[in-house]
Amino acid sequence: MWKTIFTLSLAAVLLAAAPAVSVAQEAELIAVLKSDAPQKDKADACRELTKVATKESVPVLAGLLTDEKLAHMARNTLEQIPDPAADAALRDAMGKVQGRLLMGVIGSLGVRRDAAAVDAIAKLLGDPDAALARAAARALGEIATTKAARALDGALAGAPAANQVDFCEGLFRCAETLEAEGQGAAALAIYERLRGLPNAAHQIRAAALRGVILAKPKEGVALLLDAIRGADYVLTTAAARIAMELPAADVTAALAGELPKLPADKQILIVNTLGYRGDDAAGPALLALAAQADPAVRLAAVRNVTHLGYVQALPVLAELSLNAEGELATVARDCLANFPGRDADATIAAMLSNPDVKVRSLAVEMIGQRNAAGTAASLVKAAADADEAVRLAALKALRDQAGLAELPALLNSLVKARSAAELQAAENALAALCARQSEPASGNIVIVKAEYGDLPAGALADVTEKVTELVKAGAMTIEASNGNFGDPANGTVKRLRVDYTVNGVTVSKTVREQELLTLTAMATPPAVVDAICTALDAAPLEAKLALLRTLRTAGGAKALQTVQAAAAASDEQVKDTALRVVCEWPTTDALPMVADLVKSPPSKTIKVLALRGFVRLVPQQDASEASKLESLKDAMTQAERNEEKRLVLSALGTVPSAGSLAVVVSHLENPVLKEEACLAAVAIAEKIASSHRAEVAAAMSQVSQLTANEKLAARAKALAGQAKQ
Amino acid sequence: MQTTNVTRRKFLKAAAGAGAVLAVPALVPAHVLGKNGAVPPSEKIVCGGIGLRGRGMGDLHWLMGQPDVQFVAICDLQKRQRQIVKEYVDGQYGNQDCAMYPELNEFLAERTDLDAVLIATGDRWHALASILAMRSGKDVYTEKPSSMTIAEGRAVVETAKRYARVYQTGTQRLSEPNHVFCIEMARTGRLGKIHTAYAHIAPWDAAQMRHDWLPAVDQPPKDEVDWNAWLGPCPWRPFNPGYVSGGWRGFYDFHTSCIGEWGAHTFAQAQAGLDCGETSPVEYGYVPNETGDGMVTTFASGVKMILSRGDKYWHGSCGERFDGTEGWAAAADGYSRPDVSSPALLNEYKKVIGEYVARTGRALDHMRNFLDCVKSRQPCVANPAVMHHSMTTVHAANICMWLKRDLKYDPVKDEFLNDDEANRLRSRAMREPYVY
Repeated sequence: MWKTIFTLSLAAVLLAAAPAVSVAQEAELIAVLKSDAPQKDKADACRELTKVATKESVPVLAGLLTDEKLAHMARNTLEQIPDPAADAALRDAMGKVQGRLLMGVIGSLGVRRDAAAVDAIAKLLGDPDAALARAAARALGEIATTKAARALDGALAGAPAANQVDFCEGLFRCAETLEAEGQGAAALAIYERLRGLPNAAHQIRAAALRGVILAKPKEGVALLLDAIRGADYVLTTAAARIAMELPAADVTAALAGELPKLPADKQILIVNTLGYRGDDAAGPALLALAAQADPAVRLAAVRNVTHLGYVQALPVLAELSLNAEGELATVARDCLANFPGRDADATIAAMLSNPDVKVRSLAVEMIGQRNAAGTAASLVKAAADADEAVRLAALKALRDQAGLAELPALLNSLVKARSAAELQAAENALAALCARQSEPASGNIVIVKAEYGDLPAGALADVTEKVTELVKAGAMTIEASNGNFGDPANGTVKRLRVDYTVNGVTVSKTVREQELLTLTAMATPPAVVDAICTALDAAPLEAKLALLRTLRTAGGAKALQTVQAAAAASDEQVKDTALRVVCEWPTTDALPMVADLVKSPPSKTIKVLALRGFVRLVPQQDASEASKLESLKDAMTQAERNEEKRLVLSALGTVPSAGSLAVVVSHLENPVLKEEACLAAVAIAEKIASSHRAEVAAAMSQVSQLTANEKLAARAKALAGQAKQ
Repeated sequence: MQTTNVTRRKFLKAAAGAGAVLAVPALVPAHVLGKNGAVPPSEKIVCGGIGLRGRGMGDLHWLMGQPDVQFVAICDLQKRQRQIVKEYVDGQYGNQDCAMYPELNEFLAERTDLDAVLIATGDRWHALASILAMRSGKDVYTEKPSSMTIAEGRAVVETAKRYARVYQTGTQRLSEPNHVFCIEMARTGRLGKIHTAYAHIAPWDAAQMRHDWLPAVDQPPKDEVDWNAWLGPCPWRPFNPGYVSGGWRGFYDFHTSCIGEWGAHTFAQAQAGLDCGETSPVEYGYVPNETGDGMVTTFASGVKMILSRGDKYWHGSCGERFDGTEGWAAAADGYSRPDVSSPALLNEYKKVIGEYVARTGRALDHMRNFLDCVKSRQPCVANPAVMHHSMTTVHAANICMWLKRDLKYDPVKDEFLNDDEANRLRSRAMREPYVY
């Protein structure tokens, strides 16, 4: 019965969403506490009461302070009641409870900062129960009146050693509150008292030093230096930490001035402190150590001039990068590469004019690593340096940084390359530029048209708006699914086709239902292709070959036309390179010419390359499965070597039809091709298992017996079983 | 002490062998004399553990993998757990030296040789153990969450400041490259002006918490499990082994809800990127669901941080995402690289990380960052102030859900505006004798 009443009462309280304190709620909870309800229910009532209790709740809660099982929960509520009656109740309880419960009561009086309780709590400082005396000290620290502080101060000398830390804690709490309340002198007196405490624990010494220094800003610097110079390393580290709280310039000057006089460990500590403080007035002192000191100190100095962003350190970092040994050189190089600020970019760029080639090379490398906006122009300049090492480093950096603005210079470097290494570096940089320019992002993709359904001529839906929305939200892959686009052609395996442009270049992609369509592009902006084609005309032979290879990365119709035209050149090297590029062309627009090369190859090598390209491109076609199958069957007849036959089998695995399965199955008995055929057969079967049960069952039974791949055999068995059901 | 001294010589020798001839400190280090509190750069850091199991054992492995650490003692109220840790530590060192302590105060008072402690108790003990350890002069690496209430968080901040202690919470993603990248991308303006951050909350449990008691079961002997100590500052309830074996999550007394479970990590991550590491939101918008999913919190600058439970903004656990006027970046566990609005943003991956390290000097290894700071005395990346403010966001969001109404908050005074009921939930009385 009681349980029901309580549950209803508590439920009513919990359901009440209004912020205003409800007298009725409080009364109901008080009633629970006055009843003979079990401990759990009373504990719950206390917890709920905590949110709404007023002085009306104090009497019943006061009664619970002597209850071993509920005193804590009662205190929890009393601590939150703003009325002084709660203080009075807790003070009153001090005379009624002992030991653990008394400890709790004085803790709550501390939380409430009840000044009227100081005398009573202070009496407990000398209690033989050490834990109680410690709790009293902390509570007095919370109350933090001058009287409380005096009581603690008076008791400190007589406190047993085991209680000293807690008594000091009480005094620290007092000092902090007194200082915050404008009683700085009283706070300082406490800190001075604690600083002079004999045999104090190390943390007390550190805390007292901190208190004195923060309370005495004028004398603070001298105290800091004393602590740093002294033989007590605890105080040295405390001083370092305190210095991090003091932003004043005279602290920087004092610490920096002290650095040369310190032993290595202390130097590292203070160097780190100066770096953390961030005042670049410390720069010269750190720089001096970076140039000459104990190796570990030099490392710390190098790192911390970098934290400071002390630009004058850059030449020293460069010198260390080039001439120091081991970790120091590595760290200096890292710091140079990541040194903060635009001033650093300018200083490093200026190093390009240094007569020392090693410095210029380092500058180029750093500019490349820093990858700062606007520094590609410096690299272009370095790409024309008199020294080849500098030129190579510049081209290497341009590989990561060159944009459209650097295209003419890159082409110039390539056409006028003075060595094979330079030509290769320029070609790499140009290819990387093309690739970068063609990278799609939601920001440079425009969806032209998107359709989902029984493509090409069946029932379908225009999903342009939906795809546009997805791309705008950042999607670069889109699932062809009814979940995304509804079901415009129930009962058929639908396809998603998306026509889009990247950087103005048109791309079209199609995937089957449940597959992911990834928005990519293999075409750079027309301006890039135009520039390469123009350069091609006047380029010397090796450069011409490099430019043709670059066009493959650039992609697009004009690039392909240019390469195809070069394939008819009279120069054999140009012709051979162009044919190879066609065979390796990444998109299906090269397929007709590749198919011709398969049938009428100018050489055996080109035939192999063309066949490989053909097999790679056929599955990418936006064509029917039947058409793809015919092409691949044709390829199989052209393939003379097992390597290419394996490629054809693999490609057949992407054409899900009974016809392709039949072709693949016909190679299962060939010991050399068996495993590739098994893989392809399973890939096909997984897609047509429900529509071609008999063929799949037969093929999978065969595969499961023939393959040496256990996992594949298991998949085949499962498919066979599924097809037989 | 003998062990420490020998180890120190070994360390110096190893350092010299690596090409760095470290100067022998001019002082005899304090801990060699049996007093902790200061570790010169050339010294080993002497560590102990409190309440290590599960995640704590992972932390211990991480800690002991550092070349300048000597782990010497474990304190745990569970006998079996003390033994497991000792066996592991002794096995690593090939000796029998790891000391065991069942009682925290005795451990802290007796082991004056400890420079630092690793704390991985249940959540209810994190703040109290940290405060007691720092007051006894130890530096602290503690698992998250750093506090159970706003008041506890403040107390941790005050104690660390008072005794000039180094403290780190185990919000390790703050030191992981992918998260650092996203944080720095947002913080440095590379994503434009940030208007919204999203922070992941755990996709299990609820914001509303359990107040029930599991059925009472006879207590085991105190030496096996000291139930009173296990409860610590929390309200008493009868023993049930379910709590002790990890089933304490979801209970109001012991846990910070689905919001705190992951928000203890992700709010710190998001607030770091918003440059709000040392403040908290000023507004919390109640959402009428069970979890806080979708809660919009707003900082004084107007920037929003939205709590998100699902995988809309990431595809892993403990994710954060920053949306700016010029792009977005997100990271979560299991990413090889962060998700970004444009692949071009990743071109600066190494540069952004490199600049962070150069600017802060912080290691991209959370434990290493802690140990470096033990020596340098610098604040760690997850220092008390940072953790207090991100956990204040957790606590305030929970209070918002519990009271089922919008709240306004003053992060300087650490108090809710015009809401006495909410303010009363900022602290909980500590059960005697577990009072800081």
